[in-house]
Amino acid sequence: MPTLWFAILKNHDSFCHADNSSMNILIVEDARDQRMLLSVVLRKKGHTVLEAEDGEQAFAMLQSQPDIRIVISDWMMPGMDGIELLQQVRKTTGERYTYFILLTGKSDRQAVVEGMNNGADDFLVKPVNFEELDARLNAGIRIIELEQQLEQQNQQLSEAIHTIEKDLESAACTQESLLAKPATIQKVDFDWFFKPSKILGGDMFGYHPVDGERIAFYQLDVAGHGIPSALFSFTLNNILSESSDVEAALSNPAEVLASLNNRFQTTPESMLYFTAVYGVINSRTGEVVIAQAGHPPALWISPENKTVNAVMGGGVPVGMMPDMEYQNQTLQLQPGDRLFLYSDGITECEDPQGEQYEEQRLLTALIYSLQFSVSETIRHVEQEISQWRNQDGFDDDVTYLLLEWNP
Amino acid sequence: MSFEQRQEGEFTVIEVEEARLDASIAESFKTFAFDLIENDKHNLVVNLSQVRFMDSSGLGALVAAFKKLAGNGSFSLAEAQPAVRDLFDLTSMDKLFTVHDSVAEAVKGS
Repeated sequence: MPTLWFAILKNHDSFCHADNSSMNILIVEDARDQRMLLSVVLRKKGHTVLEAEDGEQAFAMLQSQPDIRIVISDWMMPGMDGIELLQQVRKTTGERYTYFILLTGKSDRQAVVEGMNNGADDFLVKPVNFEELDARLNAGIRIIELEQQLEQQNQQLSEAIHTIEKDLESAACTQESLLAKPATIQKVDFDWFFKPSKILGGDMFGYHPVDGERIAFYQLDVAGHGIPSALFSFTLNNILSESSDVEAALSNPAEVLASLNNRFQTTPESMLYFTAVYGVINSRTGEVVIAQAGHPPALWISPENKTVNAVMGGGVPVGMMPDMEYQNQTLQLQPGDRLFLYSDGITECEDPQGEQYEEQRLLTALIYSLQFSVSETIRHVEQEISQWRNQDGFDDDVTYLLLEWNP
Repeated sequence: MSFEQRQEGEFTVIEVEEARLDASIAESFKTFAFDLIENDKHNLVVNLSQVRFMDSSGLGALVAAFKKLAGNGSFSLAEAQPAVRDLFDLTSMDKLFTVHDSVAEAVKGS
């Protein structure tokens, strides 16, 4: 090593202490002496240095060693030159960013513009001033370190999201397992459709025999979506599906709603309330007693008359205000009559232009479905609203429940 | 700003300047209304003339403001449009508060 270099290196030591993070740096330079000089300087600073004689060799090394984070490359080289190498590096978008410093004999503005347009991060004019090299390298290291930090945080976030998603999926499985299965109970056929807008839904429904001739059925829609609504609907489902010591109350729908209302008063801050329909059908006589609380009205479908009628008698949603009263409505079903319970996710389902499906279309679909069985009707309505929606996913939970009395 | 307020005598009128009062702005409405109530504005009229759609979260936000007053003052709505009126009918909101045809009617006597 000529004496002059020693002098430069010695001088260099005075302003550059190797307290920076160590980086894997690739030097691309066809002139051997200059390459070695840079290499020695950078090694002294504690970096791991790799050397390449031209663009091709450099690119091959970058491909095989992805831990190279900084490239210092000459511009003019035989074969693949600095700009071409830069273009190749930017084209090959790896997971990590490569900080690229171009060495140039040209100090004119045009060269800088060309270099930057091709993706160069910084420039060093030859002959290299080591103080400037140090400063520019530090700038690069700051960016790489910031990028590494972001990458690390990103990974932690991805892992956290992954865990949450897995938990949500398992909660969704639990929710699904809580749903009553399509069934015929005491000559009453039940079937349903349930599609939460998020992984978990705030809609819930159920049906179960109260005694030897009466079956309770219900549907509810907790305001909002997502985890708080879903947790609340889990709780409600638990209460409603247990008919142990509250059998008397369970056969009086208005009482059921009033008692739920007094039990679940929301605070102004949380505002978790729900709309509900609760009914009891006598499977021997076809008499239905039903009460509603702010829910879309149950639809009473008569195959004989080919009509669909909304069941009257609403009420304030449950949990909004204490001491609300609800009304029982009594319906006398004819054999083959159906009741359709649904959440507003159907009627408010928007097509790509933002138009809502609305009740009228639902009524038409239900009349048309009179030729179908209960389960076919469930599928027909699903097809209708899916076609209307004409895109993946719904804005709101979509739930409906159909029963048919066949004494 | 989605909401504006102005004073009409003893009444504070909240103008909802949104076509949808839904889950996306329900929280900001609540914050806005709670803020007024905490600043001793206890006679609220919500002008819904621009609202074309309201969902369960929007309805929840209105009732939240009403509950926040806890009987200490008055709360009414004005100029509900057809879709919003349907929602009020379905949920029997007339049992909770008055829906006036106009803001002028709501602030009458002030």
